[in-house]
Amino acid sequence: MTEQDVSAFCPKGDVLVIAEHILGELQPVTFELLGAGRILADKMGRSLIALVIGYNLGEIPCKLIEYGADIVYVADHPDLFNYRTLTYRRVACDFLESLKEPPHTTLLGSTTTGRDLAPRIAAHFDTGLTADCTELDIGPYEHKSKVDPSKIGLYPNCLYAIRPSFGESLKARILGPWKNPQMATTRPGVMTPLKPDPKREGKIIQIPVNLRPEDNRLVIAETLREVAKGVKLTEADVIVSGGYGLGSPDGFDLVRDLARCFENSAIGASRKVVDLGWMPYEHQVGQTGKTVRPKVYIACGISGAIQHRVGMSKSGLIIAINRDPDAPIFKFAHHGIVGDIYQIVPEMINQFKSMKPTQEVKAVVSTH
Amino acid sequence: MAGSYNIFVLVKQVPDQGSKAGLNPDGTIDRAKAKRMLNPFDRYALQAALHTKRTYGGTVTTISMGPPPAVEVLLEALEHGVDRGYLLSDRRLAASDTLATAYALFKTVNYAGKPDIIFCGLQTTDGDTAQVGPQLAERLNFPQITYCEDFSIEDGKVHARRIIEGGTQKVVTEMPVLVTVANSYHQLEYKSFRGTWRVQQLQRNPEELKKYIQTIDLDVIGADPDRCGLKGSPTIVAWTDKVGEIGGNCQMHEGNAPENLVKEVIAGSNVKDYLVVTH
Ligand SMILES: Cc1cc2nc3c(=O)[nH]c(=O)nc-3n(C[C@H](O)[C@H](O)[C@H](O)COP(=O)(O)OP(=O)(O)OC[C@H]3O[C@@H](n4cnc5c(N)ncnc54)[C@H](O)[C@@H]3O)c2cc1C
Ligand SMILES: Nc1ncnc2c1ncn2[C@@H]1O[C@H](COP(=O)(O)O)[C@@H](O)[C@H]1O
Repeated sequence: MTEQDVSAFCPKGDVLVIAEHILGELQPVTFELLGAGRILADKMGRSLIALVIGYNLGEIPCKLIEYGADIVYVADHPDLFNYRTLTYRRVACDFLESLKEPPHTTLLGSTTTGRDLAPRIAAHFDTGLTADCTELDIGPYEHKSKVDPSKIGLYPNCLYAIRPSFGESLKARILGPWKNPQMATTRPGVMTPLKPDPKREGKIIQIPVNLRPEDNRLVIAETLREVAKGVKLTEADVIVSGGYGLGSPDGFDLVRDLARCFENSAIGASRKVVDLGWMPYEHQVGQTGKTVRPKVYIACGISGAIQHRVGMSKSGLIIAINRDPDAPIFKFAHHGIVGDIYQIVPEMINQFKSMKPTQEVKAVVSTH
Repeated sequence: MAGSYNIFVLVKQVPDQGSKAGLNPDGTIDRAKAKRMLNPFDRYALQAALHTKRTYGGTVTTISMGPPPAVEVLLEALEHGVDRGYLLSDRRLAASDTLATAYALFKTVNYAGKPDIIFCGLQTTDGDTAQVGPQLAERLNFPQITYCEDFSIEDGKVHARRIIEGGTQKVVTEMPVLVTVANSYHQLEYKSFRGTWRVQQLQRNPEELKKYIQTIDLDVIGADPDRCGLKGSPTIVAWTDKVGEIGGNCQMHEGNAPENLVKEVIAGSNVKDYLVVTH
């Protein structure tokens, strides 16, 4: 087969990022998606477009351009103030159908919202969707399997959606060049955003919103945000995490005290303590919790099971405290202290408190 | 009783990743040899279904798609007190991706009746996508509640609390609805001796068992084979790479007084750069 034989299906089109925001604040994963999407679009010589859905979006469209979008499509309507599956699904599907040429690739974040919305869009268009990607690329693919002869051929520009599988022991490259858009969600905290450029130019286009009564089948009675808990896990510079080794829920007092020693810190937890009810689910780090990449991750009494590791192994500096010298966490931490949390952590807090760094130290840090 | 709800719960049998048995040298799973288990996330869905039945009345039907041994998870659910189960098993389903799986499950749901509520697990431990539930809801044109951690029915409406980024949300919707249950929901209760005993009796009597668990194929449910399996899957796994064992560079600090261990770490790393700035 030659390239021409499949040119009819050969995916063209632009790269679309569906933006996510909470109460008017763009989520970091959106900037990461724009960074990744920019690379894909440039590789194909196409545009990076963004869709943002909401109400009173203000500066958001401009921000999307600063972070890399060429064209921003805006759906602004009072009924879209909060994310709801059916209303956002309607707008996104109508928008995709209205485009003369469907996007080559459509990207969302693997957040609670992205994972709620993306599969509905994919099912509506009968197209492929790869969840939770950690890498994305564009490249050629030659399909030889004879199971479905209509698919045989060489596809020059396919989305390579790369994701961990089988508890991260494998990396799978998932492809689906037969249908457009090729869809993927990416893990928050993994892709690298571009540096925002206020001088970047782009187009902002308002799109119509046509909701149907059935789209309002679900109503939001109340949204409870954990404002008091401070910095969110995926944005913290320092995460202090506690595991079953703390022995009881009260152990988190110590974790909290240690976290307070740091600027911009947050509390993490292993699944075991979340399942036991010692900490709410929002704090869970790992395969079924959040993927985090802080500058410093301090693990207190966490064994380092693979499902935990995959959520935090990209952290800049990992310090583990565990009394078992053979704990798996010592295989991938940078500094391991073998000892009892209840002796080590209070000592840490003491020494940190007596250090009182100055503003100067901070300034040095921010330059690298 | 207020309602006699038709409750469906979708369960999948997955390889037990905790055991090393059945791992191929390249790291993929040899499904024939691997130990099998009920997808851990589906235990929460099962609990939600049983709780709904006990509190509001109704029947619970389990649905699973998989090779013949998957009947084990339907039997396990029967021991826990569900009313019946359907196993969709067909060679033509091999290599289905989430879209093809959701299509086949959609046809199975329609075959099994008209559900008021479908509970799914949040995700599976082998597929690990959390996509099948919402894709099924799209086919059925149902509203959905994903990441659900609390569920009740009041005045014929569904009230639920779900996890969202940085918080939770209370939502109200109508039935029929599809719900994916988070692992912060209640743990599955232990099965009763009576349940276990009853299933043991049933297993001795295949004819009687058929009244409770039906194994069906694509022809029975009227599914289009071209939309199933490899053919019906828009995505393929093109190749996999083994992720190398990482690390081995950990600087260990041990056998010293806590004070000194901590000093070593502070001296040997840049952790102090992130301390709270005091003016
Ligand atoms: C499908 C699936 C998904 C999962 N997802 C996740 C996930 O997202 N996140 C996650 O974290 N886990 C997840 N897990 C669970 C994971 O496999 C582990 O069970 C869990 O991470 C263990 O938690 P832990 O380290 O707190 O507990 P343990 O494994 O019990 O470890 C406790 C550690 O504390 C040490 N210790 C005890 N007392 C002390 C002391 N006084 N001082 C110092 N050290 C002490 C012990 O030596 C031990 O190493 C998942 C599992 C499955 C099957
Ligand atoms: N083969 C299957 N049979 C029955 N239910 C399934 C199957 N695959 C997925 N599901 C349901 O969909 C949920 C999400 O699965 P997944 O999208 O694979 O992560 C699971 O927890 C099940 O409730």
